[in-house]
Amino acid sequence: MSIATGRAASPLSARSAKKPNVFSRMAAHRTDYLYVLPALIVMMVVIAYPIYYTIELSFYRTPPNLQLRDKVWAGFDNYTAVLSSSVFHEVTLNTVIWTVASTFFSFVLGLGAALSLHREFIGRGLFRALLMIPYVVSAVAASYVWKWLYHSDFGVIGALAVQLGFTSEPINFLDNRQTVLSSLIVVNIWREFSFAMVMMMAGLQTVPEQLLRAAQVDGATPWNRFWHVTFPHLKGVSMVTVLLLMVANFNSIIIPFIMTGGGPADASHIWITHIYQLAFGRQQWGAAAAYAVILFIVMMALGYFYVKALTRGDEARQE
Amino acid sequence: MKDMQVRMPRPGARTRRRLMAKTLAVASVASLLSSTAYAQSVDVSQWSPEYIRSIAGTEEFDTAGHCADVVPLDYEGNLTYWWTGPTEASPQIEHEINDEFWAAWEETYPNIETDAQNVDYNQLLDRLRTTLLGNAAPMVVRLQILGGVEFASKGYFQPLAPEDIGYPTEDFWPGAMKSVTWDGETYGIPTNNETMAFIWNADIFERAGLDPEEPPATWDEVVEYSKQIHDELGISGYGLVARQNAGNTPFRFMPTLWAYGGGALDEAEDSPSYSDVYINNEGSKAALQAAYDMYVRDRSVPTSALTNTQNENQAPFIAGQLAMMIAHPSEYAKMVDLAGQATGADKEVADSVVENMRYGLIPEGPERRAVVFGGSNMHFIEEEYVDGEFDEMAAKAFACFWNSPEWSTKLAWTGSNPGNLAGFKTEWMKERLDTIKFLDVTTSMLPSGVPFPVIPEATEIMNIIVPDMLQNALTERMTVDEAAEDAAAKVDSLVGGGL
Repeated sequence: MSIATGRAASPLSARSAKKPNVFSRMAAHRTDYLYVLPALIVMMVVIAYPIYYTIELSFYRTPPNLQLRDKVWAGFDNYTAVLSSSVFHEVTLNTVIWTVASTFFSFVLGLGAALSLHREFIGRGLFRALLMIPYVVSAVAASYVWKWLYHSDFGVIGALAVQLGFTSEPINFLDNRQTVLSSLIVVNIWREFSFAMVMMMAGLQTVPEQLLRAAQVDGATPWNRFWHVTFPHLKGVSMVTVLLLMVANFNSIIIPFIMTGGGPADASHIWITHIYQLAFGRQQWGAAAAYAVILFIVMMALGYFYVKALTRGDEARQE
Repeated sequence: MKDMQVRMPRPGARTRRRLMAKTLAVASVASLLSSTAYAQSVDVSQWSPEYIRSIAGTEEFDTAGHCADVVPLDYEGNLTYWWTGPTEASPQIEHEINDEFWAAWEETYPNIETDAQNVDYNQLLDRLRTTLLGNAAPMVVRLQILGGVEFASKGYFQPLAPEDIGYPTEDFWPGAMKSVTWDGETYGIPTNNETMAFIWNADIFERAGLDPEEPPATWDEVVEYSKQIHDELGISGYGLVARQNAGNTPFRFMPTLWAYGGGALDEAEDSPSYSDVYINNEGSKAALQAAYDMYVRDRSVPTSALTNTQNENQAPFIAGQLAMMIAHPSEYAKMVDLAGQATGADKEVADSVVENMRYGLIPEGPERRAVVFGGSNMHFIEEEYVDGEFDEMAAKAFACFWNSPEWSTKLAWTGSNPGNLAGFKTEWMKERLDTIKFLDVTTSMLPSGVPFPVIPEATEIMNIIVPDMLQNALTERMTVDEAAEDAAAKVDSLVGGGL
């Protein structure tokens, strides 16, 4: 007892008593760790090992006549080859355009739809359901349908454009390097905006009605009410929505893979489709792994901001 | 097909059974090879439509009886098998024959539990690669002719020769045997060999001012005809295909390349070394220029060629919107099927297309007439990469049954030719010749067949680099010369072990 009393008197001891080291904290919570151990083991097997193996593989060359177990040490050659390749630069630019444009327009459209549907009007439920359709339709099925809608010779959109006199011949959406990426982005936005809409509709429920009424009484215009009252309340959910969309878009493969396979002439390749082609089309497993590691680093950075955005409220409360 | 989960073998029974079965197999194969019943069946040097007709239906074969000598019919075991079978694009008769085959197999070997998966043509290679990495591959796989060498060179395949399942090597095309040979060892059985032909719509030719019964004789004429048809009628002339990572593209572009004297490597030469890069020679550039002229200059081919596989050309052809293309012998049966499904005004058009459909030899170039020596080969996967144990006897029984003269012929009914040349002497071959229009035309192309390079890098060269070259030129991302040089650099780097 006396020893404990003596330590409590010292400011240094008081600090160490407040913040015990990691191991003693782990020991104190050993039962908790036991409970999460099964989940941790599963995560180690299905997440940590593949990550480790991908990083390891990224330092090896995998010639087509050798099995993976006979891979050849290459140091940083794969990273050098990937980063110095002109295709990588083009694909990176495509990826940035794809991600930013898809995220921005999906968010803006989703926000607009959410604001429209937030008001009471007849048929609101029906509209909500209709606007959710793109999100619940299988991405694979949607890609095939859009591929035919866009078809350069017999597509419905091209035929309509001709019939309505907008063009003299069918529009070449997918077989043209200049139009293919934007055509795919349109499909992606069509798929994703309902997700943003649902998120923002949830966010709108948190905006206090009294504040909006007070602002209206004070003579604020609809834009001012949105900008100064509604939007500040949506900041948190907007941040999360944008980050989730960005992560999803960086990682998306279905639409470009099915509709164009990255073509024509690499014009619609984004990182994921290019990695897939390197790995499975060309069996350059090492280069594909290096590519994946680079993408992993980018994703981790995005993940960091995502977690920060999610925990910002908690930190504020702790302070 | 039975449920694989039902049977649980007794401990040790499998080992004893396999030992006994191996002994039986060695003895029976030795006895088979000493007999003359399956000595060389067909004289390849006499190959001509007349010769094929003269030998068809001259011999009878007892498939079950023959395979019983290789593996007893009461053998108990299990089998896993992947192949590319009939798809939605296949004519109905192929589905019927497929069903017939599996029923016959189950009847002949009722105690071999079989798990067979029909995998899409463009996915089979990727899927096999992935499962091999996870030691979860099937015991037996049938791959496109281009695919096998990559896996053989990596040690994934077991040595396997026709003699192992009771057939002489001489009964298979030398070119086909070359495609299953790596480093002097044979790793598979050619199941079917196909060469395509050239089809055209005689009515479109006539309306465009061309002789309806005369196909273009050269590739230069294909370019001219395609332009004339497009200019006169506003529809696509030639069915170009240039999608990346789709087998259809090299199968339709390489004949042009070879005809002009080009190639990926020197695979079209009499004794190829597979070390000389031809993809940027004058012949290859001329072929690429021809494609460029049709797609960019004349716009006489489908705009969607860059995203199309051959399947996407079937609809415009039956709708009378496409005049000519390289096609399988099965294309006629497919068109008859499509016409049968059409209704109203579409039916009238479709019937007219079928009536006006013609088959001819693939056009020549300045150097040669060429076609891809295509087809498929059956391989046994090494045991350590197989999901579960490898049942050698079940695999041999299956390979013997599938590659018998009977089933080798029936399973190639509309789309191909029997890999086992003895099939050409069967009654079923005679029936094919009597019932399938234009079959003799495609069969006549066999001597012009050029196999893809037998090197592990062939898949990437044919499925990625060649289509890339085409797309680079056709989208004008590069000039024809630049696209060819870029492809040559990639081939050089790949064959030299680079990225």
